[in-house]
Amino acid sequence: MTRLTDDIIIRAVARIMIPFIQIYALYVIMHGHHSPGGGFQGGVILGASFILYLITHGLEEARARMSELKAGIFSASGLLIYSGIGLLCLILGSNFLDYGRLSLILKVIPAQARSLGILGVEIGVGITVMAVMFSIFFDISTGGIIPEDEEIKEENG
Amino acid sequence: MDNFFLWLGMGLFFLVLLCLYRGVFGPGVLNRVAAISAIGTKTLVILLIMGYIYQRVDMFVDISMVYALLNFLGTITVAKYLEMSGEI
Repeated sequence: MTRLTDDIIIRAVARIMIPFIQIYALYVIMHGHHSPGGGFQGGVILGASFILYLITHGLEEARARMSELKAGIFSASGLLIYSGIGLLCLILGSNFLDYGRLSLILKVIPAQARSLGILGVEIGVGITVMAVMFSIFFDISTGGIIPEDEEIKEENG
Repeated sequence: MDNFFLWLGMGLFFLVLLCLYRGVFGPGVLNRVAAISAIGTKTLVILLIMGYIYQRVDMFVDISMVYALLNFLGTITVAKYLEMSGEI
């Protein structure tokens, strides 16, 4: 399913659509307060754009853009943003993920600090969901066996 | 105007049922894939009509755009799988 084929229509359509899908995903993450959406949904849309790239452009080009290592780093750093904001609230003397206290370092009123804190947490959730979605699809579609690795293994004996 | 959109949505629902017949009993896989894709497109329009009736078009536009994206992605994935597995 991830081999490269020369279907030019699909590739052209995907090449045009993927930037708009990603912009839309960022909109869903940012605008999650006022409309359906949020971190998880925006992350799923962002992951869908990478999956579309993998399906249309083959495994090799997709690995150049988003390898398994990068997906792992992204998922861990998203979780770091989430728990970092939570721990920052804890350090400032409030409960875990109680964003009102962030007003001490953001220099804004507590209501605005809550809005900004939720936005930061949702960005972290979005990055994690995107990376995990992509890496699940990557692992399922390759069956855990990447062609390059097999060639290296055969050469080494 | 609400009534017009209501009847339009009911007509589209009838067309969805016709597509569902093709999707369930249709001979071959390609007919089924095309039927599911058509159902997704009609569902998108029905969602927008629902948004108009409930006065929340701004909310339903977002949902319907995600629906269109996932419908497109699913159809391409199934088509690619069928091509690679050589079942056609």
